[in-house]
Amino acid sequence: MSQVGIFNGVDTLPPDALFDIKKRYTQDTRAHKVDLGIGAYRDNNGQPWVLPSVRRAEEKVHADKGYNHEYLPITGLPALTGGAARVIFGPEYAEDRTVSVQSISGTGALHIAAKFLAKFLPERTIYVSDPTWANHKAIFQLQGLNVASYPYWDAASKSLLLDGFLDSIDLAEEGSVFLLHACAHNPTGLDPTPEQWDAVLERLAARNHLALFDSAYQGFATGDLDRDALAVRRGVRRMASVSPVIVCQSFAKNVGMYGERVGCFHIVLPDQSSEVNSRVHGAVSSQLAKLIRSEVSNPPAYGAKIVGAILADKSLTAAWHADMVTMSSRIHAMRAALREKLVALGTPGTWDHIVEQCGMFSFTGLSPEMVRRLETQHAVYLVSSGRASIAGLNEGNVDHVARAIDEVVRHFYESKL
Amino acid sequence: MLSTAWSRRTLKFYAGVSRRWLSNSPLGKVRRAPPDKILGLTEHFNRDTNPKKVNLTVGIYKDDHGHVTTFPSVAKAQRIVDSHEELNKNLSYLPINGNEVYSKRVLDFLYRESCPDNAELLDKDKISFVQTLSGTGAVAIASKFLSAFISKDVWLPNYSWANHQNIFSKNGFENIHLYSYYDLSSGQVMVEKWLQELEDAVGRTDNVKTPQAILLHACCHNPTGVDPTREEWHTIIDKIHELNMIPIIDMAYQGLESGNLIDDAYLLRMCLAKGGWSNGLYLCQSFAKDMGLYGEGVGSLSIVLPPAARVENKLALDSQLKPIIRSIYSSPPGYGCRVAKVVLSNEALKQQWFRDVQNMVQRLHGVRHKLYENLQWPDLVNFEKQHGMFYFTRFKPKQVNELKEKYSIYLTNDGRLSLSGVNSSNIDYLSTALGKVSEMK
Repeated sequence: MSQVGIFNGVDTLPPDALFDIKKRYTQDTRAHKVDLGIGAYRDNNGQPWVLPSVRRAEEKVHADKGYNHEYLPITGLPALTGGAARVIFGPEYAEDRTVSVQSISGTGALHIAAKFLAKFLPERTIYVSDPTWANHKAIFQLQGLNVASYPYWDAASKSLLLDGFLDSIDLAEEGSVFLLHACAHNPTGLDPTPEQWDAVLERLAARNHLALFDSAYQGFATGDLDRDALAVRRGVRRMASVSPVIVCQSFAKNVGMYGERVGCFHIVLPDQSSEVNSRVHGAVSSQLAKLIRSEVSNPPAYGAKIVGAILADKSLTAAWHADMVTMSSRIHAMRAALREKLVALGTPGTWDHIVEQCGMFSFTGLSPEMVRRLETQHAVYLVSSGRASIAGLNEGNVDHVARAIDEVVRHFYESKL
Repeated sequence: MLSTAWSRRTLKFYAGVSRRWLSNSPLGKVRRAPPDKILGLTEHFNRDTNPKKVNLTVGIYKDDHGHVTTFPSVAKAQRIVDSHEELNKNLSYLPINGNEVYSKRVLDFLYRESCPDNAELLDKDKISFVQTLSGTGAVAIASKFLSAFISKDVWLPNYSWANHQNIFSKNGFENIHLYSYYDLSSGQVMVEKWLQELEDAVGRTDNVKTPQAILLHACCHNPTGVDPTREEWHTIIDKIHELNMIPIIDMAYQGLESGNLIDDAYLLRMCLAKGGWSNGLYLCQSFAKDMGLYGEGVGSLSIVLPPAARVENKLALDSQLKPIIRSIYSSPPGYGCRVAKVVLSNEALKQQWFRDVQNMVQRLHGVRHKLYENLQWPDLVNFEKQHGMFYFTRFKPKQVNELKEKYSIYLTNDGRLSLSGVNSSNIDYLSTALGKVSEMK
């Protein structure tokens, strides 16, 4: 049988939306272009910012006599995985029933979760928020898992649909998996309040569901690591007698080492006898090792060593906390500036949500047509859902962005009349 | 397992709900997976308190002092990366398919320098390329792609790297076949038997509906260290081509056979010269060993399309590889690729790198000669067939165990000995132990 045409049936897929924005932005020759697409921090000059704490950690790692490129253990660098668990779990860290492995940032952790669930709990449905990060569904679906969504965001009032959220927890088959954004919800920037989290966790526990936290922005919501871990910690405490809790943790954003792919996957097992804890701990950890070995052999070393060094050294940790405050306060200031300018311009609509939302993003409420016009007419790039990465704003471009938003909103507002 | 309805009703009666998930969740019944055959031994070695202990398990190059060192070329490249504003000020995400300059340099290195006769493949845009997490990542992505679109059958040599089977079976392949490769009694590659098996299983086209993939070690076969000769490769390639099989070339040890990086790409050159692989040729390549970037995860997967393929086919492949990567890890790690990129971009550093590889191989050859002097085992120095970092002792498990228990000398369980762990201070101790253990019945 001739095989000449065997690839002819391979369809060309649309490019990944986020990475494609980056590509179009790079090719754009307009000097005033602004990238509000991918969630990566930029300084006030619009440049990528290497955290001073990272620079110090790099020097420390390089100066180490034993520094080389030898393979890490399959489950990762212990200084990283242990340190990472302490950062996310804080006083709730129960080492004897927590399995932690290094992952290729947040995506890698979610992928491990998907593979692990597909192997051991293949019948369970994964519930994700509507809307959610564009990649969430694909990660779980590609492993053959069933993905459904729960109501989260009310576009009209730009607020949380708590009742709908709680109802779907009640209605989901017992033992389902709920993917929760630990803080700085992507893309809406809207998090439940502590009281709302308690209500969510209470219902999850009542229905024996599993909580799967995606923690990609710890420190970015409030500038404070502990405050941003509130949902995870309350979750671990509440679910300790109910079901395992999975946490997918990324250091891409809060250490600013996006491209070094540093993250961790944690499973906190329910609180049982120490004999059972230790048996399940060993079994789960051995299965995770096997899975990691089949895809990457062992995780990338460089970024892990840097983050491990920051977490292991008190003065570096303190410097890192200060860097995070620098980032979150600049973003906060930009939110305020954008809102203020839109209000001053009298742009139709309300813009308070820009300052009420937290983290790196604002879910602006701009329509896909408006977003398209922002790009074509004003060289302002954001995702078609209207999600803008506030980190891309600075004192030099916020005026232009506000005027551009004002123009596109009026353009469509007026053309409707 | 209990039926869901039954277990749900019954469990409502329990007041102590805290154990509930264990009884109704398969998660509580997860069994311990066996430890990784190779890396598990290192953990064992680390606990061994014998001061004379020798670790000959993992394929990491060590110098004559037993140290893992960074090649001078790589160390210089690191200093350039660390001190260079432009290279080091941006830790942003790499594109899903990898850094552009890295990709261009690696493609040039692999298909212009290593295979000059087929450089037109690049000019005519016939190669779909992605940066991967070293060789494992390349094989994993090739496996996901092939099993999704072309074939769920793969042939692996017996023996092969312990992880190959794990990678293919965890990434979509349903049928994993083994072809005879190494004859344990003679220590030779069994080419005739190998090809006869393929002929018998694949050549009878009535029961083979889809093309089948075959994994080939480019050089320095892992774990046996024994490769077919060039003449044998000609015969093998002809047969595979005739059977319309899909070659997956695992090139993890380029340079470690001859000391010359370019020379060692011979299998790739021969396969490209044969040409016309209608289902594509898959090259899984890694800088782990030849640049010493092990833990940084630097490698690539390239799919060479057949001559009849059009630009749209290549773009379709590019577009299909991206969502596979996006769902596993989004984008590859940056640091190692920045270092490799600098080595490949700077002519002086590249020449230094070629010398570094040569020096490494010279030391490994020296180790083989010295062991031969001590033990008089002729295949240690049969350089026509014996290649690379590994020497396959053909020891039985009880001999491997004796080495471990009595001498604290660690080989992998299949009897593979990593020559890089041998050095001036342990070679005599090691030779004595090997000699003694080889006499065991």
